[in-house]
Amino acid sequence: MRPTMDTQQATTSDPRLPALEFQNVAKSFGAVNVIRGVDLQVREGEFVVFVGPSGCGKSTLLRMISGLEDVTSGTVSIGERVVNDVPPARRGVAMVFQSYALYPHLTVAQNMGFGLKVRKMPAREIESRVADASATLKLDALLDRFPRELSGGQRQRVAIGRAIVGNPRIFLFDEPLSNLDAELRVHMRAEIAQLHERLGNTMIYVTHDQIEAMTLADRIVVLRDGQIEQVGSPQELYLRPDNLFVAQFIGSPRMNVFDIDKLPPGVAAQLGVPEGAVKVGMRPEDLSIDPGGRGMPAVLRMSEYTGGNSLIHLELDGGAPCLIVHHGQTSPPEGTAVHLTLDKGAVHFFDANDTSIRKG
Amino acid sequence: MASAMTDLSTVNNGKGRMLRLSLRRREALTALLFVSPITIGFLVFFFGPLIAVIGYSMLQWNLLTGEATFVGYANYADALRHNPDFWRVLRNSLVFAAGLVPLNMGLALLLALALHRPFRGVVFFRVIFFAPVVTSAVAWAIVWKFLLQGEAGALNEMLALMGIDGPNWLREPNWAMAAVIVTRVIKMVGLNMILYIAALQSIPRDYDSAARLEGASGWQIFRMITWPLLAPATLIISIVTVVGSLKVFDHIYLMTEGGPENGTLVLAFYIYQQAFEFFAIGYASALAVIMFVIAMALTLLQVYFRRKDRA
Repeated sequence: MRPTMDTQQATTSDPRLPALEFQNVAKSFGAVNVIRGVDLQVREGEFVVFVGPSGCGKSTLLRMISGLEDVTSGTVSIGERVVNDVPPARRGVAMVFQSYALYPHLTVAQNMGFGLKVRKMPAREIESRVADASATLKLDALLDRFPRELSGGQRQRVAIGRAIVGNPRIFLFDEPLSNLDAELRVHMRAEIAQLHERLGNTMIYVTHDQIEAMTLADRIVVLRDGQIEQVGSPQELYLRPDNLFVAQFIGSPRMNVFDIDKLPPGVAAQLGVPEGAVKVGMRPEDLSIDPGGRGMPAVLRMSEYTGGNSLIHLELDGGAPCLIVHHGQTSPPEGTAVHLTLDKGAVHFFDANDTSIRKG
Repeated sequence: MASAMTDLSTVNNGKGRMLRLSLRRREALTALLFVSPITIGFLVFFFGPLIAVIGYSMLQWNLLTGEATFVGYANYADALRHNPDFWRVLRNSLVFAAGLVPLNMGLALLLALALHRPFRGVVFFRVIFFAPVVTSAVAWAIVWKFLLQGEAGALNEMLALMGIDGPNWLREPNWAMAAVIVTRVIKMVGLNMILYIAALQSIPRDYDSAARLEGASGWQIFRMITWPLLAPATLIISIVTVVGSLKVFDHIYLMTEGGPENGTLVLAFYIYQQAFEFFAIGYASALAVIMFVIAMALTLLQVYFRRKDRA
């Protein structure tokens, strides 16, 4: 009898222990260091999103949890067990792939039951587990179809269903929504959030889409060049980014960053620049055109109407480009000289190393 | 190209007036023009001779005297009912195919599984196994005839080192058949290997990752995922290999000339003998038609099994 997936761990493990832990984990492919010393703890039942630009190592990190990639140095633990040398199938994880990886010659039911079948589970139990999962995901009517007969969203649900039937301790999602169109992506995002609420399992989710990260995550891990830049709740990352990279990566449209010495005269003094700060960041949604003509002088260069509001591209005195989100149906014509004001609490200062300087 | 398509939009209808064709007709006409070279080639060089052979097969035609008389199905009756040689030859052909096809395809699949993913030196190995395919059949046969000689042959000398007294490979009927099969497999296996490599490389690697994560062993992944996904490639490869093995000629001609004791006399070589050594063109043509029917039947059978398998 082959060992079955560690299905019971989720219920028997100590909730005070982390579900997943990285200790100084590194990974290199030949001379290329893809992951460089990652430390992270994920709590049981937590929804953690790895986010970062292409090539930051987020998918590699996910594959290291799954065991599809080995660890060059450091340790990966699931529960109390170091899993560096544990084969993928015995780690108690299930993965949803970006490509869905549904076997094209098997029906939906066979795809979902594949893992159970290779583990020699009795056919009746496979059937009942597949039925449970398909009820959860509203796939009942599709069980006899082949993947080629399904829409993108349905395939996605089957891929999730296949992960659910194994009752894994940790779900791994590798950019699961990037092959879907925008509308479906929003819909499936909500479904995944509901699923997490219902199942309560630990979920690790990789995406390069910061909106997905913000909406789904209990905590976000921002990665760059194989290192963690910051870990925190979506709100923490948005309101208190540790550095310039996180400040610009989180939030859409991205934060305006100006060199303090190039700001229009008098503005720096108004902002109350702390010692050591060389750059200042202001989010486009925190800036507005002041009807009274006070604030930073700027010239309007272009306006993009998006429906509820407009994105206005301006040029500050001194030449720095600046973007603001302008609420309302009309915006001033191009070439108009305006003044910008902002909520002082929403200013971010950075030192010469791009590290945030927190005031007070 | 664009101008050619535009030119097709108007066709002289013979009364001096230009006729405008609908877009669909125009597209159909363009398509016909594109396929016409191969269609004409097919009709002239394949379908024509096929019809001619069927016609010849009903003649008693001596190539030397030039006399030809219509004999109906007599040549077929001769082969199928009266001439014991035919059944012997057909049996040889089937033995050859039954030996070659599984050996060739099994080995090709094993090699492809070993060589479809990149590793250091993979190109070297692929070249090694593919090189015989592009080697001249004559050179190949000559080299193997030397290697397989009874007393001074390299193979037997190697066997002698291990204390084994090797047979005279090409002079004993059963060994000769085994020898032509194996040397043919070694020569041709590279082609099927390349086809299998291409098929394996078209299977997304995520399937393998997903299956491994779900606990499937290497053998289970092969049996439950890889092998079913290779089915279309396997069908093509098996058709090409089966038909190729029935048509084998050069290899037999060069290595054994059908001997010893007609032990390797296969259908294609027998047809050649009848046509160009005994000048029995009518009889040879009937044999050729029978071979065509057998090859066609085997192909249809394989397609049928594949369809049944899918349903």
